[in-house]
Amino acid sequence: MIAQEQKPMEEILGYLEGKQKVVVMGCGGCATFYHTGDKKAVNEMAEKLTKEGKEVLAKIVMPLGMQACETDKCSIFLQKKRRAIENCDAIMVMSCGDGVQVVTEYTDEVMGIAKEVYPVNDPLGLMGGGPKKLKETCQSCGMCELGKTAGICPLTACGKGLMNGPCGGVREGDKCEIDPDKDCAWVKIYKRMEKLGTLDAFEQMRDPHEWSKMKRPRLFELEKPMGMKDMMGAMMNLNTIKGYTSLMFAKPPAEEEEAKKE
Amino acid sequence: MTDEVYSDLMKELVEGKYVFTGELEPEKAGNVNEPIEMAKELLGLVVACNVTDNPQSFAYVSSLAASYKIQKETGMECVYQLRCADRNRMALLSDVLGAGTLGIKNILALAGDHVSLGDTPDAKPVFDLDSTTLIHMIRKVVDEGKDLAGNDIADPPKLHVGGAAAPGAAHLKAEVGKVRRKINAGVEYLQTQVVYYTDVLDKFFNELGKTDVPILVGIFPARTFGQADFFDKYVAGVDVPPDYLENMRATKQIKDKEKRKEEVDRVNIEFFTGFLEHLKGTPAAGCHMMAVGYPRIIAPLRKVME
Repeated sequence: MIAQEQKPMEEILGYLEGKQKVVVMGCGGCATFYHTGDKKAVNEMAEKLTKEGKEVLAKIVMPLGMQACETDKCSIFLQKKRRAIENCDAIMVMSCGDGVQVVTEYTDEVMGIAKEVYPVNDPLGLMGGGPKKLKETCQSCGMCELGKTAGICPLTACGKGLMNGPCGGVREGDKCEIDPDKDCAWVKIYKRMEKLGTLDAFEQMRDPHEWSKMKRPRLFELEKPMGMKDMMGAMMNLNTIKGYTSLMFAKPPAEEEEAKKE
Repeated sequence: MTDEVYSDLMKELVEGKYVFTGELEPEKAGNVNEPIEMAKELLGLVVACNVTDNPQSFAYVSSLAASYKIQKETGMECVYQLRCADRNRMALLSDVLGAGTLGIKNILALAGDHVSLGDTPDAKPVFDLDSTTLIHMIRKVVDEGKDLAGNDIADPPKLHVGGAAAPGAAHLKAEVGKVRRKINAGVEYLQTQVVYYTDVLDKFFNELGKTDVPILVGIFPARTFGQADFFDKYVAGVDVPPDYLENMRATKQIKDKEKRKEEVDRVNIEFFTGFLEHLKGTPAAGCHMMAVGYPRIIAPLRKVME
């Protein structure tokens, strides 16, 4: 998912200088997971803006699974609030940059309403792990190198993105030259290759990464787009996991560990 | 190593002479007058001088421009340091071809410190290549007359490529694995990061084992306490011994400038004599003396090795 955090209020209010009427819109995807665009966040933002003297014409809350970045889903909510969008000075979108831009494109090019669309959040990249601590491990470069690097991506996990590391700056405790809180990715790769018995590969040069797969903006065409029915069907598959419901509502493992300690 | 020898540095290494190299640092200025003066003082004391490329990610005069100018005006052979932090593979290739065109005979291929550590922290770091793939690229250009994409290069440059090693790296086995990778990629000589402790050096040589690639060990006799303190505090993988650091600190108390200089020299000669004596018993092919702005210390230290 795309990690994100809300921008400082001063920056948000800066965009709205000289503007009075706003629509506040959330997102039922990553922004709901990160609490930057769920129902509560939308309500809180609307409240703050009201306190600052702005008039909130509409709040658009998107339920989980309804992402601002997917036109078919997003458009249902935008069409429903057409009147408010027509009358507002700006739409504040509480999602990643994809969501903001889908809203911009749809309102402008399909609905025919050109309004300022402002980001409320700063996206911080694709992150995994959790439940509390997440980290960026993949940058969607278009040419996965994990098969050559013991399953750890140095392009993302190494501060310099070196295909052949470590650099000469490894700190005490095998930490990164740039940030002592981060592990050196190449020492991690070394240790994993040691466990796997593949250290010979460590001493062989990996070719420079093929950045040609990252010509921006990248476009993609889905042969068979996922409709609502497919989505529901895919969710039903969860039943195949034994005891799924109890897993869903159980405490995350990390919290359980902490609870035990206490 | 290629059979061809293009530079005085490589000639001495091939002949098995004990090699001394120095270091010059272009500054944030519109000229290279100071490194030129330093180079003049080092003539005859070192076979070649490294010319640093944005060290610690501080943006200074281009190391290529500086190398050319120093070499032309003083006759000092230069080791053009080239780092991947600021250039993609196209710019690196252009600079390598440019170096050949300007008569540069040695390149030291480096990844470089991250830009966030320097004086322009908002710059976008590049690192399209790394030190190993840069070494590979240079060898391909020189030996095969081809670039990384396989394009032909007419009249390819004739120069040698060196690499760096960090004996004091926190994870020595991973560091040595990387050094072996550079050797596999065709590096022709290695220069180490600064070392102050003989046991750090011994562990490095033991871990690396036998290699035909000559290794020059880096030392840093500091001109001031501040220089030594900077290395200790800010340069990853380098620990400065507390005794040496304290002796350097004490020189700050000496008011008379000339007497202070004498004491700084005495502290350095005392400390490095022991280190250099030890170096004689290691597989090192020579010594890279990174005495930036401190050329007067080179002659007395060279004497130790004679």
